[in-house]
Amino acid sequence: MKRRDLLKTTVGVGVLAAPFLHIRPARADKGELVVVSWGGDYDQAVRDLVVPAFSKATGYSVKFDAPPENAKVKAMVQSGNISWDVLLTDIPAVLTLSKDNLLEPLDYSAIDRAKLDKIPKELQRSHALGQRLYSFNIVYNTTQLPPAKHPHNWAEVWDAKGFPGGRTFNFQGGIEPQLEMALLADGVPVDKLYPLDVERAWRMYDKLRPIVSKWYTSHAQAIQLIGAGEASVGCTIGPRGITAKRGGAPIGVDYNQGKLASDNWCLIKGVRDKKIAMAFINQAIDARAQAGIAQRVPYGPSNGGAFEFLTAAEAADLNTSPENIKEQFWQNVEWWSQPGPDGKTPRETQAARFAKWMLNG
Amino acid sequence: MWRSREGLLVLPALLFYIVIYIYPLSRIGAWSFFDDGFTLAFYREMLGESMYYRALANTLEISLLSTALCLLLGYPLAYLMATTALRARRVLMILVLIPFWTSVLVRTFAWIVILGNNGLLNRMLMALGLTDTPVKLLFNMTGVQLGMVHVLLPFMVFPLLAVMSRIDPNTLRVARSLGASPRRAFIEVFLPLSRPGIAAGCVLVFLLAVGFYVTPALLGGPGQVTLATMIDMQINTFLNWGLAATLGVVLLVVIGGIFAVFSRVLGVRELTGNG
Repeated sequence: MKRRDLLKTTVGVGVLAAPFLHIRPARADKGELVVVSWGGDYDQAVRDLVVPAFSKATGYSVKFDAPPENAKVKAMVQSGNISWDVLLTDIPAVLTLSKDNLLEPLDYSAIDRAKLDKIPKELQRSHALGQRLYSFNIVYNTTQLPPAKHPHNWAEVWDAKGFPGGRTFNFQGGIEPQLEMALLADGVPVDKLYPLDVERAWRMYDKLRPIVSKWYTSHAQAIQLIGAGEASVGCTIGPRGITAKRGGAPIGVDYNQGKLASDNWCLIKGVRDKKIAMAFINQAIDARAQAGIAQRVPYGPSNGGAFEFLTAAEAADLNTSPENIKEQFWQNVEWWSQPGPDGKTPRETQAARFAKWMLNG
Repeated sequence: MWRSREGLLVLPALLFYIVIYIYPLSRIGAWSFFDDGFTLAFYREMLGESMYYRALANTLEISLLSTALCLLLGYPLAYLMATTALRARRVLMILVLIPFWTSVLVRTFAWIVILGNNGLLNRMLMALGLTDTPVKLLFNMTGVQLGMVHVLLPFMVFPLLAVMSRIDPNTLRVARSLGASPRRAFIEVFLPLSRPGIAAGCVLVFLLAVGFYVTPALLGGPGQVTLATMIDMQINTFLNWGLAATLGVVLLVVIGGIFAVFSRVLGVRELTGNG
């Protein structure tokens, strides 16, 4: 009798607790591809402009999830409960994930040659194919620093007397310190940036510290701070600044000396149907689809062919337009990811040093 | 106890706790000691790095200050609620609960609009001529405390209210009739009787404050970088779960130590509300 009670109770608890346990996370049904991106307008644009053609060709539907956190990928692969297929993420994440063997190599034979020819070689990696370009740019408040009088280069961003108001730069959020910007501010020419003179860059960071009003933790916060005038200028994602400007915020973006980087399609280790996942990626890098997405969300399309479908005015806002891309430089991912003698990459070393620098003053 | 039917009543909660809390917690504890076999490397790395001490000190400073401020603000409020008419008490209760109606993130972003250099408060102060330059209310300890106390106050008020409303008003009347001044009656009768509420409220607020992550990160400056932030960085940026687990274990041990001292001072029975 007692034993049966115990059994009943145990089963009861199990049933009650089941929704919280996540023993079996919401796994996609057969015929469904799970794409993990960053949510918001971009996902909606992909849903409208990529998914229909993909579904028509494969018969698969697409479910979106967000965000593709490294920790979640690791937990999924380790537990064998893989409920994601395709990820859209940045190179630092790609490198961290592939170092831990959490990504599946891409199958380039499943991608149209003609599309690949229009995508810069830097964006075609064994485990990642570029989809959209973001960039760290000079983003400023147009009320405090009118368009003619705003900083046009990093040296001017560092110049608190010439350009009044607080500054905002990133800390946390998985982004390394902006050492390239520090060196540019100190007069290092763009073509001599890499390998980075780390000590020189940190000396410039020491000079930056007193004029920073807030080390922002997310790009959304950076845009809010600049829009509200808590900082007159900062270093954050230019396309986000453009979005805010279109939304009526007093924000301007100067693409000069910007640092270009990519968000990329990757496959999670143990992806359920690689062929279908590759078919999705192939559809997503289509020039016309990318042009349509860029019209809605102003990130640079990775496929150069997209500009054939965009007007000059639309292109002017994009960081990869022929005019804007000339003013910027590519982040040298190889430099940031080359392990040093201690087995740690500069990204890890510099991010750790950043935290120490911040905390120990 | 376990043979009686009543004993079984505790079983569901116990099982739930073991599955949901004890088991994962012990796994995290294990991570901090294992990395291809037993190792103390994570603890060596943590203990050898002053940055983590600084983060721990920041965390404790923020949490203790929040607890003190909540008590300072919450005690008179709870006293008013316990002694006022029922209808007024209900209104006060709703007012105390309002912060719960919005998400932490929205609330924290809203503080930036209010407290910023060009925010509502500073513009008002400058319009009134009370200050020429904006008062710095954000991205320092002031901002963090405003944001945190706002959220944590109900956790202080409700335990206090629960205890205070059980205090027999006649005890105060007796004290007065025996010649005690209102002040003396409060200090010698009401205050000691409300101690279990103080203890419960402080423990609750302190423990919650230690785990705060979003508010210090968004409203604080470099002096308010907490251990929770460091743990997040190790988990998400570096995928170094061993070190993250170590930081978590150290935080748990330190909090356990503080809790032990606390219960020594106030008495365990008061913490569990049997005082």
